[in-house]
Amino acid sequence: MPTFTYNDITFTVASSGDRWDLSYALPNGASALAGAGLFAGLAEAEATARALALVKTIFPVGIKSVGPDVAHPNTIGDLKIVGPDVTHPNFIYWNKDSVSCPKQL
Amino acid sequence: MDIKGSVALVTGGGNGIGEAVVKHLARQGAKVAVVDMAQKNIDRVVKDIKEMGGEAIGIQANVTSEADTARYIKGTVEAFGKLNIAVSCAGIIRDGTMLSLDKETGQVSKKLDLAKWQAVIDTNLTGTFLTMRDAAEAMVNGGWEGLLVPISSVNKAGQVGQLNYSSAKVADALMPKIIVGEFLMRGIRNIRCVAIAPGYTATPMLTGMNQDALKAILEDVHLGRLVAPEEIASLIGHCVENQALNATTIEITGGLCYPKGIAK
Repeated sequence: MPTFTYNDITFTVASSGDRWDLSYALPNGASALAGAGLFAGLAEAEATARALALVKTIFPVGIKSVGPDVAHPNTIGDLKIVGPDVTHPNFIYWNKDSVSCPKQL
Repeated sequence: MDIKGSVALVTGGGNGIGEAVVKHLARQGAKVAVVDMAQKNIDRVVKDIKEMGGEAIGIQANVTSEADTARYIKGTVEAFGKLNIAVSCAGIIRDGTMLSLDKETGQVSKKLDLAKWQAVIDTNLTGTFLTMRDAAEAMVNGGWEGLLVPISSVNKAGQVGQLNYSSAKVADALMPKIIVGEFLMRGIRNIRCVAIAPGYTATPMLTGMNQDALKAILEDVHLGRLVAPEEIASLIGHCVENQALNATTIEITGGLCYPKGIAK
């Protein structure tokens, strides 16, 4: 039963007949399902590679500023909206593996 | 379009109407992506689909987030290789009248909170827009046949105490006409859009309510009972299979009428 770690989360790829289930460990020790009955007919190595690719799309590593950034409000008429916004220039979207993210103190 | 072999994504797929839609499509042979805020609900639905012999992924996400929307669309395509059906079931209610008056003075004592307004618009309208937009983008770029299904409500007709909800749902009901019109204008022929406007439905929210209040509601329903989520799911399945259904909003209410017997 292959396991791999991505974004500090441990994922398990378990065989279920000729298909594969993908689960991951929650911080409280419980397990959650990311997928079931996937990758029909694939061998373990291929299924694990597909699972990793899937995980990278649905569990992206992100750094999000928690605002509000009052210097860059979005406005609707006189209303100033200063909440964090993914389209805002101070939102950084990091979609690479966590090991490639430079550690900063 | 055949349901068997298609790929469907359902927001709010972890309970209520969304859960019924996911299970109906999976039972008919679709591969499904269950998008929901609650991981507990996702786990339950994905496990149920596995036991049915189906294929599913679960993605915990907030439909009001543009980044989350991109993530679950991309995840669905990564897992299953395409996307054919997008159903936007995620929705919330935050009821309240726009103004409340003090009984003694007749002056305004309370106004509908902007937060209550915004939360409903964000989830029920912006969330639907983001899912429809990004699903359509994937379908166009992938060249896949597709169906977009915004979930409106019979309360698009206007419901007191639901200025926020009714405003969002009437906008959702307009989406098919505008989206398909734009598709025609742009030469996009492979994607249809049909909205569904359910009436009072047997979701946990309604079945758990005060039974006297529920009985009063049902007095105005010709069918005499709540609509089952599975009946709505079956209608969506029919919309997938019937290509002539397009650019319209279909009500499924059991015959919901105003108190004097005029159908809503």
